[in-house]
Amino acid sequence: MSHRLDFVTTHATEFVDITDRIRDEVRRAGLRNGRVHMQSLHTTLGLAINENEPLLLHDFESLLDRLAPAGAGYEHDDFARRFEVPLDEPANGHAHCRQLLLSAFATLMVEEGDLVLGRWQSMFAVELDGPRQRQVALQLDGEFARSDEQVSLEALVELELARQLMVDPEPVASPMRRLVEAGGKRLRPKLVQLTAGIGPGSDPLRAAELAAAVELLHNATLIHDDYVDESTHRRGRPTVAAAEGPERAIAVGDYYFAKATRLIAQIGNGGVTSALAEALEAVCASQIDDVAMRGSYPGDRDSYMRVIRGKTASLFAAACESGALLSGAAPDVVDALGRFGVLLGTAFQMADDMVDFSPSSGKPVGLDIRQRVLSLPLIYAAEDRVVGPEVRRLLAGALGDAEVGRVAELVTASGALPRVRQEAKGLIDAAVRELDAVELDGLRPALAGLALSAVDRIS
Amino acid sequence: MSVQLLDRELDRLEGLWSDGLSETYGSYLDAVGHFETEVQPKLALAAALIEAGVRLQGLGGRAAPPTTLLIGDLCLARGSRLLADNAPLAVQVAFARAIETASSAAAAGQPPPPLRQLLRQSLGATR
Repeated sequence: MSHRLDFVTTHATEFVDITDRIRDEVRRAGLRNGRVHMQSLHTTLGLAINENEPLLLHDFESLLDRLAPAGAGYEHDDFARRFEVPLDEPANGHAHCRQLLLSAFATLMVEEGDLVLGRWQSMFAVELDGPRQRQVALQLDGEFARSDEQVSLEALVELELARQLMVDPEPVASPMRRLVEAGGKRLRPKLVQLTAGIGPGSDPLRAAELAAAVELLHNATLIHDDYVDESTHRRGRPTVAAAEGPERAIAVGDYYFAKATRLIAQIGNGGVTSALAEALEAVCASQIDDVAMRGSYPGDRDSYMRVIRGKTASLFAAACESGALLSGAAPDVVDALGRFGVLLGTAFQMADDMVDFSPSSGKPVGLDIRQRVLSLPLIYAAEDRVVGPEVRRLLAGALGDAEVGRVAELVTASGALPRVRQEAKGLIDAAVRELDAVELDGLRPALAGLALSAVDRIS
Repeated sequence: MSVQLLDRELDRLEGLWSDGLSETYGSYLDAVGHFETEVQPKLALAAALIEAGVRLQGLGGRAAPPTTLLIGDLCLARGSRLLADNAPLAVQVAFARAIETASSAAAAGQPPPPLRQLLRQSLGATR
């Protein structure tokens, strides 16, 4: 999570204690355990950790003055010898030299939601050429807590899901209940609920109804996917198709597809209904492309991006847009959240692809390879000059345990995984930047935190 | 129905038109006469796509092979989107309930309800 700390200095040299402001940022972001990285965005502003005692700060100022006194004949101040000197350029060679003695970077540890600082330690931004408007960049990483409000919102969705499943006929409710109760990350409903808090018409109960309907819709698509992919397990339990046969799986998927679209329609917001209907259509169309691509497995990056844009990212985008629309958010906010959702959904799918190569994920390594599921690491490995030929040869034949294991080894050795990780993180950064340009009523940290958590399996 | 509408709404489903979807579409035209002229073909097509989609999936019978199921899913999704964009709320709800009725019967192993009749009734729903 990124942020900028803005402040104005009032003296030529000034020790600005920013400890409390950083502490506030940690609290606001809900960072429980991790680090705050700080970077001065100026060449005459340093960072330092020391004691905030006025006489000591005066001593530091005197020390800097002795080591790099102002007006001591710095070549930087000889404007006649420099090119393209702005009219308002100050004679500040001493300030640059003083900054060299300090640091432009600092990292503070965070434990149990608070900065790890000794009794006398404070964090200072050190002005060396003030007075000026200054900015320090912050990045927070680590384990973020869920706020009480987030916990309550999640409980509302679980309650709504349970309520909906309670009234359905057992032959369809029972398999869906098993799938829903098995867990899942609930990212789409969380996005609905968070974005539904943005506009003036925020209503947590309606948002929970919409969020639950979106989760049912997502699960309905999974039930059909599992039949198409011949998957035997999902979330650690047998799939509906594996446990009860494809006929039941098709019926259960259809029932919840219809029920979810009805619940969405009954919310009574045409924009919401249309956004989700378009997304569902994109999901289904991309599923057809996905299966068609298996003929030229593993395919190429462009085709991959096109498929996951529809198959995964479209529902993320629609979840974000529909929550915002429900709350009556401004059109520019809805659009920005849609773009945020596309980038997040794409990054999420890339992170999900990487899990297939992680022995610690709890899933069997190479399951996607065995089922010839679209996977970006595999595409990159197949394009690799060293391992590519062997990967392509193995994928062209029958995939038994030995072949799947060897392909997974080659992918891991190829450098494809760090490449995908980097790409996913870049998409998350871009997603969070989409949030910068619009007014989100204080929800930016929560959305950014959710975006980071969506790919934290690959960090 | 206009050629433009067909082109747009039958993307990836072109083969179905000559494979019975055209006749199915025709069978709903007399049930949409009470709607505005410009939405009549869209709602008739929505109903036809949903009927065709359910049939392709093999709902209530033998499961379709995966690729056919996906075509059926796309038919349902496109029909649903056409309804979302063009039908009154009561009609959208009635269509969803018709699919819920058909799919819950299939899940319970009961005889399938007459889907075309349910969908035609849905087009007349007012509440």
